[in-house]
Amino acid sequence: MSIKHQMSIEGNDLRLDFDKEYTQIGKSVPRIDGVEKATGAGKYAGDLKFPNMLYGKILYSPHAHAKILSIDTSEAEKIPGVKAVLTSKDVPDMKYGISPARWDENIFCIDKARYVGDKIAGVACIDEETCYKAMKAIKVEYEVLPTVLDYRHAMDEGMPLVHDNYPRNINTEIHQDFGDVEQAFKDAYHVREDVFTGTRAYQNPIERHSNVCIWKDDKLTIYPSSQSPHYFQYYVAREFGLKMGQVRIVLPLIGGGFGGKLEPSGLEFVGSVLSKVTGRPVMMSYDRLEMFQHNRGRHQGTYRIKTGVDKNGKILGCHTYFLLDGGAYTGLGIATAYYSGALLPLTYEFDNYKFDGYRIATNLPACGAHRGHGAPQPKYAFESHLDNIAKDLGIDPLDIRLINARKPNTTTVNGFGIQSCELTACLDRIAELSDWREKKKKGLPQGRGIGIATGSFVSGAGYPIYRNDWPSASCMIRVNEDGTSATLYSMSADLGQGSSTILCQMAAEAMGYKYENMKIVCGDTETAPLDFGAYASRQTLFSGWAAKRAGEKIKKDILETAAFMMGLPNEDMDLDCVDGVIFSKSRPKVKVTTFEEAAARYFKLKGPLVGTGVYTVHRTGGYHKGAPVGTSPAYSFGVQAAEMEVDEETGKLTCLNFWDVHDCGQVINPTLVKGQIHGALYMGIGESIFEQVQFDDKGKIVNGSMGGYLMPTALDMPSNVINETVESYEPVAPWGVKECGEGSTNPTMGAFRNAIADAVGANVTSLPLNPEHVWRAIQEKKAKDKK
Amino acid sequence: MYLPDFEYFAPDSIGEACQLLSQFGAKAKLISGGTDVLVKMKNELLAPEVLVSIKNLEELKKIEYVPGKGVVIGARAKHNDLVYSELLAKRYPSIPGAAKQMAHNQIRNSGTVGGNIVNAVPSADLPPILIALSATVHIVGAKGSRSLALEDVFTGPNTTCLAPDEIITEVIIPDQKMTGSTYMKFGLRAAGALAVAGVAAAVWVENGVMKDARIVMSAVGPTPMRAKKAEDFLKGKKITDELLAEAGKKAAEECKPIDDYRASAEYRRNLVSVFTKRSLRKAIDEGHV
Repeated sequence: MSIKHQMSIEGNDLRLDFDKEYTQIGKSVPRIDGVEKATGAGKYAGDLKFPNMLYGKILYSPHAHAKILSIDTSEAEKIPGVKAVLTSKDVPDMKYGISPARWDENIFCIDKARYVGDKIAGVACIDEETCYKAMKAIKVEYEVLPTVLDYRHAMDEGMPLVHDNYPRNINTEIHQDFGDVEQAFKDAYHVREDVFTGTRAYQNPIERHSNVCIWKDDKLTIYPSSQSPHYFQYYVAREFGLKMGQVRIVLPLIGGGFGGKLEPSGLEFVGSVLSKVTGRPVMMSYDRLEMFQHNRGRHQGTYRIKTGVDKNGKILGCHTYFLLDGGAYTGLGIATAYYSGALLPLTYEFDNYKFDGYRIATNLPACGAHRGHGAPQPKYAFESHLDNIAKDLGIDPLDIRLINARKPNTTTVNGFGIQSCELTACLDRIAELSDWREKKKKGLPQGRGIGIATGSFVSGAGYPIYRNDWPSASCMIRVNEDGTSATLYSMSADLGQGSSTILCQMAAEAMGYKYENMKIVCGDTETAPLDFGAYASRQTLFSGWAAKRAGEKIKKDILETAAFMMGLPNEDMDLDCVDGVIFSKSRPKVKVTTFEEAAARYFKLKGPLVGTGVYTVHRTGGYHKGAPVGTSPAYSFGVQAAEMEVDEETGKLTCLNFWDVHDCGQVINPTLVKGQIHGALYMGIGESIFEQVQFDDKGKIVNGSMGGYLMPTALDMPSNVINETVESYEPVAPWGVKECGEGSTNPTMGAFRNAIADAVGANVTSLPLNPEHVWRAIQEKKAKDKK
Repeated sequence: MYLPDFEYFAPDSIGEACQLLSQFGAKAKLISGGTDVLVKMKNELLAPEVLVSIKNLEELKKIEYVPGKGVVIGARAKHNDLVYSELLAKRYPSIPGAAKQMAHNQIRNSGTVGGNIVNAVPSADLPPILIALSATVHIVGAKGSRSLALEDVFTGPNTTCLAPDEIITEVIIPDQKMTGSTYMKFGLRAAGALAVAGVAAAVWVENGVMKDARIVMSAVGPTPMRAKKAEDFLKGKKITDELLAEAGKKAAEECKPIDDYRASAEYRRNLVSVFTKRSLRKAIDEGHV
């Protein structure tokens, strides 16, 4: 592996000094798309324009639950500029979704609307303004039905059903039982039960959901704002009875997804049919309120956790009971429900675990995968619960985490194999950085507290979303004819996280080439081979393997050609290519050649220089029901600590210091890792303190705008954020990498809650930890103290 | 989402503007910075057939001191004109202090003082400090002009006593004995959030005694509200922390908050109590800030 040798070649201008093991990875190279994004030159779906393009919109239901009695589109059709109006009669009635176990959505509602925002009709017009006029002219007669808005009562006797085939509105029910929890509770020195409640949060990416659909003859091309070209291709082909080869998905630049753009949005189906009937390209988009209504954001839940520990705080067994508000449709929600319980045993070692989970259907926007998929709110509950246990036992919150911390080369109680795990190192390091011991010993000033929490996440899901036996990732590299550049063709999706940059770094490293000469075509199903895209934090590891293997194939071909050119045998791995220079390890005086020259020669002799790479996840997980959810080749680990100041009179919070120490394996690009951690902290602060999708008593969103839904501003970020990574190497990953984008979201809410509890002694049990909630918890504590 | 069609006038004189407003009556809407009117039109809450813009009325942008009258702020002065005004920084820094707490920089570069007043939202950030400093407004209409105490302009949420053809042209802060003033806003994030509650206080302190006090609360009633009982309670008393806390409690009793999705009425009362106490203390100790 190591390339630590110096070359000083007489008569040669090239002076190479390999101080580092790697020349392309482990470096904060500039983003491959940085300039076009920063200058505004880059094109997102909403920027695209095609000759004769029409604009389309979807008319949505103003009622949370209503039977559709009739739809009259005749007035709308008469408006000048209206080119097509569609209702459920004009589109396939095949139900879609993304979790195959529960396909329950239709392109347009057929019998009834199930939430405010449910899709009723579609229009295509010469401009968007006309679309709004046309939608107003569509007359829909509804019979308003009683609604199910509170998931906590949705299972009650006599409640209306959101879907007839989900009795008692139970969308998914999960019961997993490992070891013997009851016995563990009997053996325990202390058993405690807590209940915490979460809130609905929305990803709210800066880029709105948009796409352009072009259905010409028997070919459908879509330019969507999507996290996965492959799933879009598969689901669109399936819906319209097309072959995959007839559907082309091309990703423009993407302005954030965070899980919300993984499943079909409905825009692509409606846009496709509108394009087919008009014979023209159609641009579809959701406005900000429609984005909130489409949702697929965080499930809110009630999290009941019971844990038994020994005298030292070692966890013996844990029973979780989670109730999740799923909203009107399933989407990715089944996976969310499984993830919510499955990922809890990752950071701490215990042998007995029982998980009961219910995902409930309600007449509210459907929830889905939201950064940290299913894990963050349960983790907030568990980390808060663990602090309560530590307090009961008089143990330092840091110590109870050290005692229970996951070790490398272990298997979780629910069957996930862990190789690399530096959680203990993370805890030790954060204790140093935050001066934890000293602060605990001396105490902090009145109103100030410090809290800690851990997190972990999959580095890619072990199984694809719909059942298939395709490889998990593949890609292709073509070295361009004169060798001065190479293009990586990958169906990965760069949502802003920087995957295109790191995949090019990895490809260049494997090729022995230079990152700055790399180009990428990503997310085009017609030019790039299959990859499932950006979700479950999979691309660095999964797509990275494919890029590494494709690069290694190129390198092999290059070295063969170079051996011929240099008049040397290519034996015993003697030739190597590093940073674009090809040299003999055993004969340092032989004149070196370059990647460029060898590549140009290769093309002249043999034609295009192409390398392909493929990666298939090894069989992971146990055999119980739901075992595939939560499996992964590798898991990231991380710890966060927050020092908070609480204004006891108002409940206002100020985060003074924030620390994050992460085990994300080997780092390919330190700046991008830092960006992920800062971004996760930003979202974590938002979900902890500010963000909450709120509804009126009719199920209508009251704050579905950038002004109403309060995401933090730069001024709300902690003034002091320190993040570090620990030394770690994941053996099953290319160059030992692991994820850090989603795992970094998991500890934040718990760290904040624990800091608040430490500051004012109040137990805030519901998200968001906004000033009023904190103030109320302080009032309750004061009232209790008086007694 | 899209602006409806409308006719647009940008007259060169106040008289002409009033004339147009009078001529078109209910069909017309006055527009200044547009940060409220245009948003309402896009959201279909307002559909005027005629917009009368006062953007060409340069004389309404002034911020100046007129001896015998006081500090005169033109209705067209933008929030950021207040923020960066040297005159206000010298005389009443509490006014730029309040303006700085409003919305975002983009809005502050566009929205105007007059607009903030006539839009009359209960959570508006400028009226409390202006009322605390006994501001009056000069109003010009088609049939003449009049002056009014600013606090008497508001009649309810989004409503004022102005006739359709009347335009606020200036806000006047009279010379006064108040030795300190400040506005404290509580929003749910550091910028770009409406006040959940806000309190402006102006105090006249002599030898540790409260000679006079004016307390104005925002976002806890249908209009910006004076806490008159708290003011009366304070007058003539020796200033102590307990006194200010008691004034806070009285203000909390006087306010009329509602429950909405931002906060409960109960919590808002608590905020009024806390911020009355704190804003009085700040104005007493630090002067006009």
